[in-house]
This record gives sequence, C-alpha cells and structure tokens, in this order.
Amino acid sequence: MQRAQADGAYEMWKEVLRRADVQWIHDEVKASGLRGRGGANFPTAIKWESLPDNGLPRHLVINGDEGEPSTFKDRVLLEGDPHALVEGVCIEAYRIGSHRAFIYLRGEFALGADRVQQAINEARAAGFVGTNILGSGFDLEIVVHRGAGAYICGEESALIESLEGKRGMPRIKPPLPIHVGLYSQPTVVNNVETVCTITHILKMGGAEYAKLGVNRSTGTRLAAISGHVKQPGVYELEFGMTLRDIIFGIAGGIRDDKQLKFFLPGGASFQWLINSDEHLDQVYDIDDISAKLGTTLGSGAIMVYDQDTDPLLVAWRLAKFYAHESCGKCTPCREGSGWIEKVLYRMSHGLGRPNDMDALLDISAGISPDVMKAPFTQTTICPLGPSPVSAVASLQKWFRAEVEAACGTEAQA
Amino acid sequence: MINVTIDGKTVEANPGDLLIKVAQENGVYIPRFCWHDRMKPVGMCRMCLVEVEGIRGLPPACTMPVAEGMVCHTETPAVKQAQDDVLEFLLVNHPLDCPVCDRGGECPLQDTTLAFGPGESRFVEEKRHFEKPIPISDVVLLDRERCIQCARCTRFADEIAGDPLISFVDRGGHTQVLNHPDHPFASYFSGNVVQICPVGALTAKPYRFRARPWDLATVETSCGQCAVQCRGALQSSSNRLVRLLGVDSDAVNHGWLCDKGRYGFEYVHSDARVREPQLDGKTVSWPQALDAAADALRSARDLHGAESIAFLGGARGTNEDAYAIARLAKGVIGTDNVDSQLGDGLPAELILGVNRAAIADLDTAAAIVLLAPDLKEALPVLHLRLRRAALECNVPIIDFSSVPHGLTREVTHALAPLPGEQGKRAEQLVGALNGNAADAIVAAAAATIAGRSGNIVVVLGRSNLAERSDATVQAAAALAGLANVKFLSALRRGNVHGALEAGLAPGILPGRVTIEHRDAVQQVWRTAPEVPGLDAEGILRGAIDGTIKTLVLVGADPIADFPDRALAIEALNAVGTIIALDGFGNASNQRAKVMLPVTMFGEKSGTTTNLEGRMQRVNQKVSPEGIAMDDWRIASEIALRLGDDFDLELVDEITAEMIKVSPALAGATPALLASSHDGVRIPVREHATEIKVRKNNAGLLDGEGAVSWEPIKADVEAVDVELATHESADESADESAGEAGAAVIDSGETPSADKATITAPTAEASATVAPTAASVLLTWNRIAPSVSLPGRDAYAVRLVSGPALYDHGNAVNASASIVGLRGPSKLLVSAADLQRLGVTNGTEVHVASAKGAFNIAVHAARGITQGVAQLAMGGERGANALIDVGSSATDVRVETIQ
Amino acid sequence: MGLAKGFGVVIRETGKKKRVTTLYPTVKRPKPVRFHGRHVLNRYEDGMEKCIGCELCAGVCPAKCIYVRGADNPVDAPVSPGERFGFVYEINYLRCIHCDLCVEACPTEAITESKLFEFSFTNRNDAIYTKKELVVDDNGRAQRMPWEHWAGGEDDNTSAWMRATSSSGQAAYEDRVNWSGELGFGVRSAESGQTADSMADAPGLNEGDAHGGHH
Repeated sequence: MQRAQADGAYEMWKEVLRRADVQWIHDEVKASGLRGRGGANFPTAIKWESLPDNGLPRHLVINGDEGEPSTFKDRVLLEGDPHALVEGVCIEAYRIGSHRAFIYLRGEFALGADRVQQAINEARAAGFVGTNILGSGFDLEIVVHRGAGAYICGEESALIESLEGKRGMPRIKPPLPIHVGLYSQPTVVNNVETVCTITHILKMGGAEYAKLGVNRSTGTRLAAISGHVKQPGVYELEFGMTLRDIIFGIAGGIRDDKQLKFFLPGGASFQWLINSDEHLDQVYDIDDISAKLGTTLGSGAIMVYDQDTDPLLVAWRLAKFYAHESCGKCTPCREGSGWIEKVLYRMSHGLGRPNDMDALLDISAGISPDVMKAPFTQTTICPLGPSPVSAVASLQKWFRAEVEAACGTEAQA
Repeated sequence: MINVTIDGKTVEANPGDLLIKVAQENGVYIPRFCWHDRMKPVGMCRMCLVEVEGIRGLPPACTMPVAEGMVCHTETPAVKQAQDDVLEFLLVNHPLDCPVCDRGGECPLQDTTLAFGPGESRFVEEKRHFEKPIPISDVVLLDRERCIQCARCTRFADEIAGDPLISFVDRGGHTQVLNHPDHPFASYFSGNVVQICPVGALTAKPYRFRARPWDLATVETSCGQCAVQCRGALQSSSNRLVRLLGVDSDAVNHGWLCDKGRYGFEYVHSDARVREPQLDGKTVSWPQALDAAADALRSARDLHGAESIAFLGGARGTNEDAYAIARLAKGVIGTDNVDSQLGDGLPAELILGVNRAAIADLDTAAAIVLLAPDLKEALPVLHLRLRRAALECNVPIIDFSSVPHGLTREVTHALAPLPGEQGKRAEQLVGALNGNAADAIVAAAAATIAGRSGNIVVVLGRSNLAERSDATVQAAAALAGLANVKFLSALRRGNVHGALEAGLAPGILPGRVTIEHRDAVQQVWRTAPEVPGLDAEGILRGAIDGTIKTLVLVGADPIADFPDRALAIEALNAVGTIIALDGFGNASNQRAKVMLPVTMFGEKSGTTTNLEGRMQRVNQKVSPEGIAMDDWRIASEIALRLGDDFDLELVDEITAEMIKVSPALAGATPALLASSHDGVRIPVREHATEIKVRKNNAGLLDGEGAVSWEPIKADVEAVDVELATHESADESADESAGEAGAAVIDSGETPSADKATITAPTAEASATVAPTAASVLLTWNRIAPSVSLPGRDAYAVRLVSGPALYDHGNAVNASASIVGLRGPSKLLVSAADLQRLGVTNGTEVHVASAKGAFNIAVHAARGITQGVAQLAMGGERGANALIDVGSSATDVRVETIQ
Repeated sequence: MGLAKGFGVVIRETGKKKRVTTLYPTVKRPKPVRFHGRHVLNRYEDGMEKCIGCELCAGVCPAKCIYVRGADNPVDAPVSPGERFGFVYEINYLRCIHCDLCVEACPTEAITESKLFEFSFTNRNDAIYTKKELVVDDNGRAQRMPWEHWAGGEDDNTSAWMRATSSSGQAAYEDRVNWSGELGFGVRSAESGQTADSMADAPGLNEGDAHGGHH
C-alpha cells in the first residue's frame, strides 16, 4: 500500500472526490476515445451514456475472468498492481453512481484474488473504500467473487448469471446488461484493463491520451505475447506499431532463429495471420486490421508459431478448448464445437479423410454462416460459438494445401 | 395492435408478442424445440432462426418481440440452411433409438427432421454415451443420450411447478439434465415434463412401452380426481386406458396435470374393481340386484317413511349421475336426507349462493385471499394457477392458513390465525379495510388490497378438517360483505360442485335453488321434498339413533372420508340396510345388502362441473369393466321398479332433462355443451358472453399438426352464442316439451336490477327467459354460526388437518404407479413443541384424543406455531381417527413412548 | 362337337411331351427366390431375440394381422438387447397377405419370411401364431407346427429376398449382402444384375427407388 501510494496510487481518486464532478470524468474518458479492452472494443463512455435513468440501483462489475488460451494481461494487473484496479473501480463507480462493485475473477487466479482482496482491505483501512469515503458522502463496497472455472463466464451476461449464483449461461440480448443486468438492475461490465486505464486517462487528460495511438484506436493496450518468440510476456503497446515491430522487435523474433510460420494477432478466438509482408506490415489498429485482413486484435493476445508447427494440431487444440468450454446452451455451439473437435482430432492425428476439410467448413457454416468473412455472423447467442470457426477458416485460407497433404484429396480418393 | 409482415403477409399483432407466436397464429409454423407458449423463452435450440429485415444475422423468432413494421422471412435459403444445420447438429449426438423409444412416431425431432432437416448426416465420429435410462423419480425416467438440451423440463420444474429439482450439469457436448444427488425429482407435477419433452429423453414409467402412438385412440375429457377438473386427452390402446395428456385450456389448467391425475386412472382397470352386481355378497344378475335394491327401498319407505332413507355421496360421477340420484332420492322416494359432501365440505347454500369467481379471475385480482387447505395437496393444478397469479401477474396473496403449505413462499401477507380463529381474523381484515386495523399485519394486508384495483378473489375451502366448518363460514360471511369480492370454491372431491348443482345436498334442488322453488322440478318429478333433510353428519347420527334405517352409498366411503371415523363406523354398523353404488368394495360398503357396480373414469360420458362452476363434457374411451353400469342408469332402473319411469335412454336425454329443470342451467343444450370450448359456466345466462365454440368438431390430436408435446388446443373461434330458450331446449331434450318449460319462465318475479343487465346475447332470448331464471337462484344469507372454541389445554396441541394428494382412496390404492408415492403419515409440530417433548425428528410418539389414539412419527416443521400440530387425513394414522366432528377444535395429547 | 374337340386335344397330346404337373404334395417344386411364406422371428447367435417390440411391423401391416406389445426388458434375464423386448407377438394367418412389408419395416431384421405356406388349420386359434411358435429354434430353424406340411429343405431359406441385396436399392451396393449374420439359416448370396446400367434401363426404376429390384 505504501509502495503503491508512493507511486501515486489513489491520488486521482482523491482528486475525483475533491472535484466531485461526474461530468469531468465522463468528458475526459470520452475525449480519450477509450474502448473496452476485453475484446469487443466498445467505447467506454458511450456505454456509460446508455445507462438508463430509472431510479434502480446501478452496479459495476469488473470482468477479470480472463480464461482464453494465451491471454494473461489482466493477470499481470491483478497480481502486479491491484491498487490500480481498486482505484479505477472507485473512479468508475463514482462516475456511474454505483455503490456496489463486483470484481469477478477467474477461479484459478488465487494469487490475484488474494492480492486484490488485500488491496481492498488496505484501501478500506485507509478510507478510500467504504461508507462516506474521505468525507465525500460517497459509499462504495467492492466485492471480490471468484468464478468456478468456466470460460463462458467471461461473457458479460453469463458472468452476471454466475454472479447471481446461477449456472453460467449467456442471457438473451436484448435487454443488454446496461439496461437489465445484475439482479435485473442496470449494470456496467468492464474489463480489468479498461478500468485501470481510466485513472491514467484522468491523469494525462483525455485529449492527451487520444494523441497516442492511431485513428480510433487510441492510447496503449497490454498485449500478451506468447509462443515461439524469444521474449514472451506482457507488453504495453501503443496502437500504430506494425506487427513486425511487435513480433520481431519487442518480442525479439522467433525462438532459435527459425522462420515464422503463422501467428494469432488477437487471441485464440480470431483468425490467424501468416508470415507475409502484407500481414507483418499491418498496423496494430483495431479497425484497420479488421477491415484489411479480416481478423481482430481481440483480447490482446498474440500467439506466434514457428516453421515446425503443425497448424492442424494448433487448430485441434484450440477447438478442444472451445468444445470443452461451450456452456451447452445453443445447439450449434454445443454440438458443433464438439464435432469440429472430433474431426480435427482425426485430421491432426493421421486419421483424416479427403473430404474432412470441406465437411469442417460446412459444419462451421452451421455455427457461423459466413465462415470466411469477419466479423462473423453467428447462429448462437454469444460469440463463443463462432470462436472455433476462426481456426477452421484460417486453415482453409492459409493451409489448405498442407491439410490436403495430410488428409488426402477428393481426387486421390 | 401493430402490423408485422411475415413471409410477405401483413398481419396484426399485439406489441411485445413473440414473433414465433404471431407467426403461428397466422398460419406460419416456425420449427422449434425449446419454446413453449406457457413458459418464458430461452432461445436455446436455435431451431427457430429467421430473417428479420434490418437485423444482422439470423435472430431466433422465440426471443424476438414483434415491433411495428417488422418484416420477417421464414423460408429464405439462409433460414433453410440454418434449419438444416441446427437439425444436423441436434442429430449428431442423438441415438438411433426410435424403434424402442416411446416418443417414436409422435416425436417432434422426427417430425421436424422430416419437414425441415437435411437428408443425411455426415457425422462419422462416435456419439455421446450415457447410462441408458436412469430414474430421476419414481415415475420419470431420463435417457440423457436422447436429450437435446432444450431446457423445457428444467424450466417447467423451476418456473411453473416451483420444484427446481432438475437442472443442467456439465457443459459443452456433455451438458445433461440431472436431478441433484440424493434428491429425486419428486414433484407432484413431474409428469408434465414427459409430455413437453420434444424427444424421448424423459419417459413415464407407467406408460413406458405400453403402446405406440399409432395404435392410440384419443378422446377429450376432464380428469375427475379433484374439483379442478383439468382438461385432458385420454388415450387408450386395445380397450385399455394407457395415457392422459394435459389439454391446454386457458380457463382451467393451461395444459398441466398433476401426477395423480396423469397416472391415477390405473384404478379403472384394477383387479380390485367390482365387476358384477352382488346381493348379500353373492354375484347376481342385474335384474336380481336391481329388484333387491328397489324392494329394500320400497319396504323401507312403506314401513318407516321416506325420511328413514338417506343417500350419501354422488360427488364422484357425472352431473347426469348426480341428477338421476337426486331425482331418485328426492323425486321418487321423497327423502331430503341427501348429502354429496361427507362432512368435509361447506354448506351448499354458501357454495351455491355466493358470487363465484373463475380460475382465470385469479390473474387479474386485486388480491387473493387464501382461506383453503394446502392447495398443492388438495387441488394441485389450482396451486399452479395461484402460483402463476402471484409470480407472473404479481397478484398479492393474503393467507389465512394456520400452518405452512405449498404456497407459503408466495404469500404476501400471512394473517396466521390460530385454528378456529379464521373468522375473527377475517373480521379484523374487513375492519382494517374500513379503517380500524387490529394489528400491523392486518393493516398491511388491507393497504395492499386498497392499493390495487380489481376483484378480491377469496379461495374458499376447508382450511382445517379438524374443526367444524363454522370458523370458515364466519370468515366467508365477513368477507362476503366487501364490495368486489368473488369466491373461488376450493372444495376438493371430483365432481362435488356438479353434485351440489344437481341438488345432492339437503334443502337443495337441481339448478341452484332451494326446495322452496319446487316448481321447476315438478314439471318432471313426481314429488319433491318440502322440509330440508339431514346433512352427512345428521345422517350418520340418525343411523346411530335409529331414525335412518336405509343408507344408499353412492360412491361414498364415510369410514375413510368422514372427518370423524369413530362416528362413521358406529353409524354404518347401526344402520339397517346399506345399498352401495360403487366401483370398489371398501370399509363402508362391506356390509352392503346390494352392491351395484358402476362405471368409472373413461367408461362413461356426460358432463361434470368444476370448482368455478364450469360445466364440460366428459367422454367415454373404453368399455366398462365387467358389466358395470352408469349410476344414472341404475337410478333410472330402480325408479322404474318403484313405479316411476324416467324414460331416459341416452346421456344427452338426461342432460337435457337436467337443464330443463335447473334454472341455473337455462339456456344450455347438450349440443352447446358438446360444441363449446371450455364448456359453459353456471349460471349459464350470466356467462353467455364467455362461451366460445369449436370451429370444427375434430377431436384433439387427430388434426394436422396436432402433437402431444406442444400445448394441445382445440380449434376455437369466438362467436356470439344464441342461447336456447327453454322451449327450444325442451325440444332438443325430449319430445314432450312445451308448456311446462314455459311455465317456469312466465311464473317469474320482477327481475332484480343487477341481474337484468346480464342477458343472453340475443335480445329475444334475454327478454323472455333471463329475468326469471336469475331471480330464483340461491343467494347466501351470510348467516354464520357463532364459534366457541374450547379452552386450550396447556399439554395438548390443537390439530390442523387436510387431505394429502396421495391419499388412502381407491384411486391411489388401486393405481400401481402412484400408490408407492404416498409417504408415511407423520405428525408435524413446531420445533419448540418437539423440544418440549424431548424427542428428535422422526421419533414415534403416542397421540391421543377423545376419539382415538395411535403411535406416529413426529417431525418439527418450520412455520408451525407452537401449540399447533399438523396431520393429514386418511389411513390408519390419519387425523380422522382423532377428530370429534362435534367439536370446534380437536386437541390431541402427544406423549413420548416409554 | 366341342366335347369331341376337347378330348381330341387330350388324346393327341397324351404321351407326346414331358409331363409338367408333379405329384404334389409328395413331390414339390423349388419355390421362387422371392417367395413369401410364413414368418419366423429370428434370434442372435447368443440366443437373444432380435425383436424389440417396436410395433413397426404392426403399424405397417395393411391387413392388420400383427399384434405386438413391448415391455421393459428384465435386467437380470434380458430377452433381447436393449431396453425393450417383444412381450407379445402374434400373427393371424387368416388375415396375413404375405406382402412382406413387415419385413421391410423391421429395424432389427427380427422378422423374416420363410418358404413355408402349406397349413391346414382345424380351428381359428391355430391360425394365430404367437411368439412361442414364431421364434426360431436353437438351430435357427423355423419350428414345425403339427398342421404345417413341410417338404425337405423348405425351412432353409428364411431371410427375405430384398435383404440379400442392397437395402437402399442403389446399384452402387451391387453384390453386397446387407444382412448381418443370423442364427442358423438363410443368408443368401446377393442377387446380381443390378448394375447401374440395368437399373437405368429398367422401366419405372431409378436410383432413388428404395427397393428398386422389387419389381
């Protein structure tokens, strides 16, 4: 606590309470162009604006259920700087007028949960959390809730269900959680990183923050780089760098100086890119990459694979994750993800059949009718459904020949 | 109303209605598995994906409320492709069990696959495997391999039944429905999940492998197990009843049935049935038996007068049965010692004479006053309707129960009177509504009522059989004085309301009139009683003191059902001659001189009347066991032997005669009863505008697209019904119609102001008929007996008792599938009393009253007041072994066994 | 005149050609391959009954001569594999028209038709074959009823003809026996001559015809 305060923790929270100006927070964040860091990239200030004014209590829920393979940026924040999270929660709760904030942490984050809880305790002892905070008349309680190990609970409505004590399954939208959320009351759900960023925006000033980055992708974001790179880890990247700079610059290039084969620029759920100049010179920009290359930056994870990697095996492993984590609500996801996994298992273990790849595309089309296009359309409630489809689409796009070599072709049959 | 375009056709819809429903109502069937009209949408199966202009992707029609100008397409290539894909996905893990699956042949997954699915599957991997059917309760089996995870069953259990005992476990392809370990799906409503399951994942043990859908024959009928009379589709195969499905009646049961109704018809084919007439215990022919019965009645009448003959029962058959028995007793023999209630009901004048509510009135009520036994035990589907009114329609419930019950959690204000103090509490509530609140709870309840508009619906039954009905009558008298109050009867026995309407009560004649209004029946009857006779208690006491010498038991078993068993046993031992009309032998009729076997559920046609006064057709499905005969025919045959020819051959003829002599039924005809959807409510003229008529006379489940898993509905349209005048009713009734019917109509008094506005839709009919018919109808005088409670012994507990769903009656005893569901009797007391006794839960204790004593296990129950004990009726250790019917309260000593 | 002409033919033909009649029933002709006789209920090699009591045969029967009731398989001594077995199985041969639709409908190949057709019932009860009489014996052969006239070898072929070739009728399945092994008798070699060409040539037949070879 002392160490954190020495670094300026809670200064901004004091400043917020001193100013007592909700509009100021709002304007600064709006000016900053901050977009949600959980993967959906929804502008935070716009979300606040949609809060209904219906007299019901409002809730703030922080999504720390970081469960996607290769994504581990929030964990660094939770374990490394829990006070930054607590301060961010305080400021955002103040903005939206919530007196109860929930931090929903992935069940496996035992250390992070302990540290966040300790930070809350310390903050309460110091008077930054609790009733009548620093004499301002503002009350705030922060509750840490640990999930039970379901990836789906990273989806905001499933997270809310889980928080209410029910089985974690996404809700039908509309209504959106912002209107009818936790306990049927208006609820803002934000990613851990988003909340932490708010403090910095207020410190810098929204306009100043917006100068970082490119286009509508303002500021910086944390990226978890993993795979066959020399220096994997979490890095704070400014939007606007090229992917080449990131993989070969920041992350130090490919391990053992092998060739890059392909990489996942936006975590496990989105389409892959390969070792080509077009892809590597792509600017790290949320909208630009999606417009040009049909993938997104997702949850801020970058997975890099070298020349020796079997893409089928990667696709199978990802599909296995999604088949295991499907909540079972929507038919296409529940049955389709399992089917894709079974077919990919055969294909990646030498049991492929010539028409398997086409079958995969067909199955995928049942989950996501426009398989090859991004962003996906989906026949499911939440985006978990189409997630394994991106691996199939990527195989088709970049590795069709390799797959055919492994499984044979229709002609050979 | 807003406009929505579906497949190019613009239709009108209510804003907020779901697209899938709007489409269906306008002839566009969007395939679905998870959506059920009576439950909240969940959007799980994704089968109903459609295209809606302006919305990206394919939204599910079941979660999409319609909006003005919405344009929807259900047959585009993208939609077809999605339907193909979803079905292929569903079939990926669905086993090829169809030949052995109970659903095979009526399976929504089969049908939908044929209509909307792909020709073949490309799935070559191994399917998911689970242990084949596992019992999740004593009557329901679950095959998780077949499950398509639509959540219909789990939602039903949670939302509708309030027994959330099954839920999803695991996830992804292993998602499965399961009960919680060590907690079976022991719901009174468990059979409904089998009916609404879109595959054969949930099967019912009683129906399992009994028939295939294509060899079933179906009729629509009403269940007769309790007075709700849920509509059902009764199915037989090879002349045996095999299945009862709930029919979705807006008015009554919303498609649900309780398990007792659903599986409890097995008694019909039970080996214990009496199949042939018996005289002095020996099998005889019908003429011999009928002669003997007639001789016994004739000689009793000639020797001791008609008043020495009494009739008990008649609440288990049809209205026609009850009417014929009433005519035999009152119109041929001339006795008024007739009671269809066995001391467990309320005065007929009260039930027939108050402003009656319909079940549907619960949904729009300002408040529901619960002055009834535990409805979950007594009238299970009414319990569901109250639950819906409370949870879906947010109607507050004001509870007068002394002990906890199935709806306790839904109660808004619990006035919690001590046993016997319901009347006092009701008077306090009325006082609070007039500004004098006795305490905070009453004040809060009054404030709740005052803050809402609409009727107060009082659900009125016997909340405690261990006391006289006086306190309940007192409460009813107090509440009946309020403005905008309506009463929903909660009497339990199958057709007790039909029996009361038919005149099976002392002082009452058919058609809601007292014996003072004899002129209607005297058109047809030879005689009619002039002095009110005895009720059940009086009859039994009369048997003991010798004034009643001959007792006719019409499906009645007073020893089992009369609250005071000792009195009943004494009476039945004392009475000279017993003539029994019954399907079963029982303790009460074992001494019967003549035993006349009667037809039972599914073996006869006619009409029945439920607790809201709704008269509906019941239909025969199988031929009677043995040579059993309808009660009405037996009554008619005995009357013939007593010299009075009823001249009735067909059920419709007797229905017509009953209508002719019943002022409350004026306007109805057998044809109207047959064609009306949801029947007619009594008095018919007052409810003429509610009558809807079936579009065609097609039976249920044999029209196109009629399937058992969806709400089973008859095809109806609202039309103005032209009610019959008495003349035309007569014409359809019998050939000797005419002047007698007209006499009733013309002999009227001036129409009362409130009734004059309620007329039949046709001016002609209302002008000639309505005024008179309305004016003779019984109105309750609100005279309540005073209640004097005996002083409370500090060592005794005061008993509260009501019926249990799985009771000790023949319907349960002779139905193999549900007899095992009956739990052991147990005495429930407060934790403090248990502590005072110094015993633990489940210990056997000795209970004793002035009437009887036995040992029974005692349990503490949350919510019971200290000094109060709860014990169900029936069986060796039933409360009726302890109750003294002469007392205003039953106090019992509870002692530990040394 | 006509009479003399008729006798003339008889006299003229007598002794001229080989005799075409046989001394039936002492001598019997082989039955045609597709002959439909009375049914048998087959069993698996381990003795389990193939019938699962699904009633599809009864459902499809145009003469309504089959009566089937299923029941829960006893767990300790199962009659057939799976949950359900044929508890009651009766065929009324006073009604049966030997159309073989029951055989086509059967999902487990439990019911097939033998070549036996010569019964002489003396009462109606005998004409109703119950499960006891229809189930094949431990050698897989039809049980011989007292009122049936058997010639040697007539019980050999019990499997129905269409199962000896493709169940889909598709020419692509030429020569493949779609008939799992059964206890004892009746697995016949596939019929030939169902090439794609011949199928196409055959009048009224096409590839989609489920049982093309039937006609």
